[in-house]
Formats: sequence, C-alpha cells, structure tokens
Amino acid sequence: MQTLRMAESSLPQLLEVLKGFGKLIGPVEKAPGVFTLEFVEDPSKLRPDALRTILPIKKFLLRPKFAMLRGGPGNGAAPSRENEYGPMVYFGAHACDIHALRILDTLFLGGYPDPYYEANRRNLMVVGYGCFPDEKCFCQSMGCATADTGFDLFLTPLAGRFLVTVASARGDDVVRAAPQLFQPASRRDIQDYLERLREREKAFTLHLDTSDLPYVLELKKDDPVWDELAKKCLCCGSCSMVCPTCTCFNVRDELTADGACRVRTWDACLYRDYALVAGGHNFREHRADRVRNRYYHKQEAFVRQYGMPSCVGCGRCIENCPTGIHVVEVFEAVRGERPVGGLRQQGQAQGKEVQQ
Amino acid sequence: MSAIMYPGVQQQRLGGLVTGENVYLPQPARITRISELTSDVRLFDLRFVDPQLAERFVYKPGQFVELSVLGVGEGPFSLPSPPTRRGFFQLGIRRVGTLTNYLFDHIREGDLVGIRGPLGNGFPVELFRGQDVLLLAGGLGMVPLRGLLLYLLDQRELFGRVILLAGFRSPQVVLFRDELESIARRGDAEIHLSVDDTQGLPWSGAVCVVTELLDRVTVDPCRTFAVACGPPVFYKFMLEKVVAMGLGRDRIYLSLERRMECGVGKCGHCGVGYTFTCLHGPVFSYWDALNLPELIYT
Repeated sequence: MQTLRMAESSLPQLLEVLKGFGKLIGPVEKAPGVFTLEFVEDPSKLRPDALRTILPIKKFLLRPKFAMLRGGPGNGAAPSRENEYGPMVYFGAHACDIHALRILDTLFLGGYPDPYYEANRRNLMVVGYGCFPDEKCFCQSMGCATADTGFDLFLTPLAGRFLVTVASARGDDVVRAAPQLFQPASRRDIQDYLERLREREKAFTLHLDTSDLPYVLELKKDDPVWDELAKKCLCCGSCSMVCPTCTCFNVRDELTADGACRVRTWDACLYRDYALVAGGHNFREHRADRVRNRYYHKQEAFVRQYGMPSCVGCGRCIENCPTGIHVVEVFEAVRGERPVGGLRQQGQAQGKEVQQ
Repeated sequence: MSAIMYPGVQQQRLGGLVTGENVYLPQPARITRISELTSDVRLFDLRFVDPQLAERFVYKPGQFVELSVLGVGEGPFSLPSPPTRRGFFQLGIRRVGTLTNYLFDHIREGDLVGIRGPLGNGFPVELFRGQDVLLLAGGLGMVPLRGLLLYLLDQRELFGRVILLAGFRSPQVVLFRDELESIARRGDAEIHLSVDDTQGLPWSGAVCVVTELLDRVTVDPCRTFAVACGPPVFYKFMLEKVVAMGLGRDRIYLSLERRMECGVGKCGHCGVGYTFTCLHGPVFSYWDALNLPELIYT
C-alpha cells in the first residue's frame, strides 16, 4: 500500500486518466437527492459525495437479466457473452461497497467459480471515495467502515486535497499514467487523515450489536418475533434488490426467434415461489419462514459458512423498505430489547433502554 | 490484476465441474435407452457424446446431475446407476413438471439432452467399508438408493450385511422389482419389500407401512450405517424408529430434495441454514439435518 496526495483541483484530470482504463461508472444525481450508479461520459456529472446509490455495483457485475447460454432449439447450447461490459472503472466506491465486493468474490470466485461474474469482476477497477455516515449507516458495527484492501485507488477528501491510497499494481498504473497529479503524502496529510477517521468514527449514530448474534439467532429460531415481523413485511424483495450482497438468481429457459436461451435473472428469497419444487411442495410457504430465512442468511448462516456476516451496514434496505422495516430494530426485537415495529427514538442508539 | 483474489477466496477455489470449466454449460449426452419402470417413472440410459468425457465422468452414489433441454428447462436428477459401471449412466425420472413432461412426451431413444455434473456430496461410502449397511427407501427414494445398492454389491466383499427395506404404495409402483427380487434370490443382500395396499394384485412381499419392515430385521447398531431416502413423511416416522434400534444419529444418512437451479451453491434456492443442499448435500447425517432448521420438515 502506498499513500500519496493529490490536489482537489486535479480531480477532473484524474477522471480523464481513469477513462483511459475503462468505461467510467459512478454515482450521478438522477432526481434531487436520488443517486444512481451509471456509466458516465461527462465526469463533471459524477457525485462521489453521494452517500448511497439506489442499486449497488452488483448491477454491473451481473445484469438483472442476461442469457447465460444460447443455442438452437433442443441442444447445442453455447455460452453467451452478453453479460460482459469490458473494462470498467468504478469511481466513488465507499468502504461498505468495497467490503460488499469482498463478500461477492467469496461467493462467486470461491468454490466453483462463476464465469459470468468473474469476466466482469476481473475487468473492474475500483476507485474508492471517503464518506461520512448518516443515520442509516451502521457499517461501523459490521466492521466495514474502512477498507485497506479490495480496491485499486482510494481517495479520502481532506481540506483542499485528497489522500490517495494505492492498493494494487493496477492502481499504481493509474499513478504512473499521470505522475504529475500526485505527490508523496506529508506527515501533515497523514495526521489530518487520521483526524478525519477519528471524527468519522464518532459520527456514527446507528449501532447493531453483532456480538454473539449468530448464537442469539440460533436460540430464537422459533420465536414469535418472526410471525410479528411477517405481518409487517410485504415480501416485495426491495431489500434484496438494493442489497449489495444479495445475489440470488433464477434460471429459466426462453424461446427466441432463432432458438432458445437460458436466462438468469435476479431473484429474492422473500418471493413466495423461491423454494417451490416440481410437484408443488413449497419448503418456505409461510411469509414468516421467508422473512426469518433472509435475516438468518445475513447474520447467522453466512457467518457459519464463511466466518463473516453478509451484511456491510450500508443502510440501503432501511432506506428502501416500503413498510419501514429497519434491520437494526429487527435484531433488537429478536434480542427482546424492543417490541417488533416499536418506533426508533432519539438517543436510543443501542435500543437497550427501550420501554415496552 | 487488481486485488480481487483475496487469499481466503483463492484457497476455496475448486475449479470447474467434470462437464466443464463453465459450471453452467451442459455437455451433450445421448439417450441410449428408455425403460418404463411404472406408468409415470422411466429409466433413461445416457452416454456423453464426447467419448473422453464419458470415461472421465466418475461420480459417487448419491450425487446428482442437472439435465436440461435448452428452451424447455433444467432440473436436478439423482443417479440410479452405480458408478462402478463406467461409460454410461442412468437417470430415474418421474413425470411431475414442465421439463419431465417434455422428456416423457418428446424425448426418444437417440435424442440428445444437456448434462452438468456430477453435483453434490453423495453418500459417505468410505465410512461403510467393513460395516453393515441398512438402506431405507420410500417410493421414488429407491432411485438414488438403487445406485448405492448396486455400488455396494459390485464390491460385495468390502462390506458386511447389506439390507434393503423399501416401501411403495402398491405393487404397480414398485421400482426395479425384477432386479431386486433377483438380488434377493442370489442372496447378495437381504431385501424386504412392502406395499401399503396390494389393490388386488399378486404380491409376495409384505403389506404394511414401510416403517413396520424395521420390525423384521435386527441389526448390530454399533456396526451398522443406515441410509434413508424418501418423502418428508417417510423421514418423519422412519428415522426416529431407526434411532430406537440403537443407531446413533450420526450413523443415519438421508438424501434431501430442494429447489436447485445452479447446482453449485450460487443461486441460493436450495439454501438451508449455512448449507446449500446442492453443494453440501443432498446427503446429510440425521444429526446435521436435525440441527439445520427447516431441513427435513417444513
């Protein structure tokens, strides 16, 4: 890892350099206060200060719908490359987004590697951008508030300048492509950077108590809290769609004008037919079963399988739930520290003093 | 290359399947024979078109494959053939949905289908060496257990007693009846068949629910492994009765059904607790199954 300094005024030049490494992706303001990740031709449209985009980077790694195989009717299936985007530069990744990529890599590149994910992932350059939390961010609790690996470059804004962290040889390629933009970081830069980190640590207001959470969940698997929660959850799947680590998919065949294709589409474990098998048996017929399964997979099952939860605390599910289900409150309710649906009140960040 | 290959990920990387690096790409296999087992279950014999793949395709009893017809769909099917017999494999398929209807109505001997695999963990046959093996089949559960039974019998001297208890609804739906009766006659295995109801048809076996067959055998619980395969209701009554015979819950294995799409632990559908049925299963010990909520009973 190397640490450099870049003047704030050099950012447009850096973005021009980055465009030479691949199609530029970054947050843009689609509507007032609404940010989405898009391919960007004009770098001045980029809003790296945006805290969270509706959909995370997963949409550029695995498209919401693409054909994995194409072929004539019956047989002769051949892999399709229509999911591939070629070289991409993801500008404006926050620490949580970078940790989400680590989780996706664990799933898709470990075990039997997924060739469709891998083709795009190997072509993705990640340029991080330092953020400051709002009331929906709990990445600190998930251990995802900072990243020291998993990116190529990381820009942390300081007064009038950026501290630039170089974490890969590809990041170093960028620096070598425009060496005039960078200077070695001074002692003062490092000190200001550490000061910013400390301020940021203190700025978090939302906390999820993850200590022994998998164990608590195991003990609470038959708790009525899941039935209560099922009354509030519509099983619409919004939380899964916006989640940076939710990547369940459906595979189905479609007929085309010149043959057939095997299509892969985003799916969500909250959908009723998710565990339906041929013959009509549904292994998770009840809404409570599906709701519980989602929370268990994030905070219990993934921990047991990979030693880490599959949640990075980005707050997207909190922001996008149409019925106001709040993931931190759910786990507080599971612990018995608040009733389900109890309103979150100021100054009760841990929920420990909540009265029934 | 960017920092995408975290050391932990690198260590967990398995590579592709026997059927190819792209784990989603099926390889063409020819249907060489179709035999009717019952009115709605057929046995398909298949051979990979690529002769090298046909030889290389080695699997464990209890593993499964994904069979597909592009444009119709893909589904998981267990292998009733024993891996001790190379060059071809079999699938026992019941007509139950879109894909299987297509296989029954449109696929003929000589046609090609796509195959991916082998998938899943299979039965822990390495533990069975020198031990007695008690096979418990309910209905279509006979399909994967037939592969295990023939595997054990193909290496008969490696194992102790081989006992099969299999229950079916009626004599018309008994799977592999001639073969099982022939094995019983030659004394290679102890075979007990039952039907719930003879429906007036000739039947020399027992007429009872399959769990009652357990009353007809005595086993040494310390040197016996039990392997069960059947519908959820079958497990519900069968497994605890085997435990009551003295077998530890880790000496009882069962094969489970789930919605499987990718077969390689990615799509999520067959996830139960921290396991994917397609990857860490479909075979689980009874103890593990009990400790994974939702796994056996829903």
